Amino acid sequence: MAFEFALGEELELLVKTARDFAGRRLAPAIREAERRRGVAAAVRDDFEAIGLDRLELPDALGGAGLGSLSRVLVNEELGATDPGAALALDPLGTALHALDEFGGNALLQRLLLPLLERPGARALLVTGHDGSIGGDDGRLEAAIPWVPADAADLLVVLEGGRLRVLREGFELRPLPGSGLRAAGGAELHADDAEVVFCAHDGAAAARAMARVRLYQASLLLGVLRQSTEYATAYAQQRVAFGRPIGHHQALAFALVDMHAAVAMGRLLVREAALRIEHGGDAVAPAASALVEVIEASRSIGPMGVQVLGGHGFMQDHPVEKYNRECRALSLLHGGIDAARDDAASDLDTLATPIELSPLAAAARVTAQQDAP
Amino acid sequence: MDLSLDRAMAERLERARELGRNEVRPVGLEADREGRPIPVDHPYFKRCLERGEGRTRWSGPDGKAEGGARRERSTVDALLLAEEMAYWDRGVGVANPGPGLPEANVLSAGTPEQKLRFLGPFLEPDRPRWACFAMTEPGAGSDAAAIATRARRDGNTWVLDGSKCFIGNASRADWILVQATVDPERGRAGQRAFFVESGTPGLSNFKIEKKSGLKAYESTSFSLEECRVPADNLLGGEPRAKGNREGFKAAMRTFNAGRPVIAANAVGIGRALLDESLTFAREHGLLGKTRVRDRIEAMRRRLRAARLLCLQAGHLADQKQPNIVEASLSKAMAAAVGQEAATFGMELLGTVGARGDHLIEKLYRDVKAMDIVEGTGQIQRMIVARTLLGLPR
Repeated sequence: MAFEFALGEELELLVKTARDFAGRRLAPAIREAERRRGVAAAVRDDFEAIGLDRLELPDALGGAGLGSLSRVLVNEELGATDPGAALALDPLGTALHALDEFGGNALLQRLLLPLLERPGARALLVTGHDGSIGGDDGRLEAAIPWVPADAADLLVVLEGGRLRVLREGFELRPLPGSGLRAAGGAELHADDAEVVFCAHDGAAAARAMARVRLYQASLLLGVLRQSTEYATAYAQQRVAFGRPIGHHQALAFALVDMHAAVAMGRLLVREAALRIEHGGDAVAPAASALVEVIEASRSIGPMGVQVLGGHGFMQDHPVEKYNRECRALSLLHGGIDAARDDAASDLDTLATPIELSPLAAAARVTAQQDAP
Repeated sequence: MDLSLDRAMAERLERARELGRNEVRPVGLEADREGRPIPVDHPYFKRCLERGEGRTRWSGPDGKAEGGARRERSTVDALLLAEEMAYWDRGVGVANPGPGLPEANVLSAGTPEQKLRFLGPFLEPDRPRWACFAMTEPGAGSDAAAIATRARRDGNTWVLDGSKCFIGNASRADWILVQATVDPERGRAGQRAFFVESGTPGLSNFKIEKKSGLKAYESTSFSLEECRVPADNLLGGEPRAKGNREGFKAAMRTFNAGRPVIAANAVGIGRALLDESLTFAREHGLLGKTRVRDRIEAMRRRLRAARLLCLQAGHLADQKQPNIVEASLSKAMAAAVGQEAATFGMELLGTVGARGDHLIEKLYRDVKAMDIVEGTGQIQRMIVARTLLGLPR
């Protein structure tokens, strides 16, 4: 039987590498990164030196060639420390997913690889869900109220089944930003901007969105984990009415539920990532995983602050930041409403009994392989 | 990380699905309609034996009985089968003949003589046979350490006095493994388990309870009054049972193994609710309504997460790794998710649900028990909090 929850040696090592980097290079400077709206060049150098900037870039293009499971594992670690810094550090970001699904290595080589030659360059993916993006195959009109970036060297626009890529002609007007401040924050405008690449492919767009949503969900998962762990540790130290506050049942149960929500979200994220790695249809599962994590964030973000009481409201503790990051991350790429649409997209055609997970589908594949 | 199943398990699940559709659900619906447990002489039980069910996992005195092969089945396999059978009717699964809940205790703590005497009849049963485990009392439910049933030594016998309640299959069991205290002053350390055979004088006042759901199996109360059993009926025999807290730990082993199973049961019932809800929504043109569609999506998503949590707990058990947090979380979460699914199903039906003749309505009554048996959701949270937060006992 192949059933195995453990990650295995290689993935454990990857997790450890990402965790070490986040703890050593990001954790000491999370407030500074918010103030400076970015990360220091030396931190970026470290990030690149250990290869995290090219995690999902194919081998043939000089990347690590790792898949979706690796991505969500690394993102959980980075998100647990500073999701804004994680966005700022990743030169390719989710733009890679869109370009990969629409054009594979050829498109990545043509449009994305040049960015890696320029220190600090960054591609930005925006997705259209609310009519804020217009134009045609050759020109872009856009007025997007907020993107987590101060600047972009390549703009990738995914809207419906259409992909458009721009190198210039768009403007990012800085904003204070509510969360993800370490990534920067701006209002994005494009007025009749020139599109340098355009393609139409509904299936590719759906596959790209699945990967984008897992990227987003895994960063958010990291935030939820850290908020829960921080609140748990605090609840064991802070004494009220003669005992640690975590020993009062009202808080104890709330903290257990936070841990449970993180565990359930993590399993859905990893399951969807596995499905992508096995070439399965992950559109609904990935959207569903994001919905689950966002729903969890609605309680964990505020509750992380609540456990600390007045202290939680102060910037001396990071839980107020986690609470802001929760909402900002949840709003990207159409947020929970767009994700719900895709998560439920297959309900019309499902046969019963409904399969809840890839277990049966994978079993069918295994059975065929086992057949003489 | 790999969540795929091998061919053999996929085929076992398919067979379970066929059995569930053709046998389990019909007999479960019949019991619910009739408002009574499946009778001991029901042809369903005879067919269970013909299919090779109702047997022990013990491999017999010479280690060659086929039960040994079944014992090799992984926890994950067992959980998937438990989920599938609960999908069709969780109550019928409990009603099925066999050595049931106490088998694990006997296998792990019983003497060779006790295995032969109490599991031997289940090697090749000549008729449907049952055994059961009796812990719960009117005054001791989740707080299993508070049981008041007393056992006192009198020469070569033990004398039991007390009462038990909500015990599955007790009135039809060949023997009951009764948890009792030999020394209340010692709390949990003073507990032991005793085999009490059917017909033993003093074992009396059986009362089959009327339940809200899960009507296919009997939940029975009974009393023990000057109930005298041989000294050999002490689980594990004298030397082993003298070990500090061994008796209580043996009982708790059963519960630890049971939590992910109850979680799997809850997921199975929840899956049935999901399928019935989706079917109803389709038939009545409700899938186009966003509020309905989103709640069905949420039901599927939460069930999927609960299933994975449950299987993770089982996988840890298979790897001989501690799983107390995962087991309790899976039990607490799956039961809650199952109830959410049932509530939604009833709301989707509207007044159709109030008629009392729809499967969703039956499942709504059935699933509630999953948040109660083997430790309520609140008890599970306390267990987890002990590990995560150092919550004192």
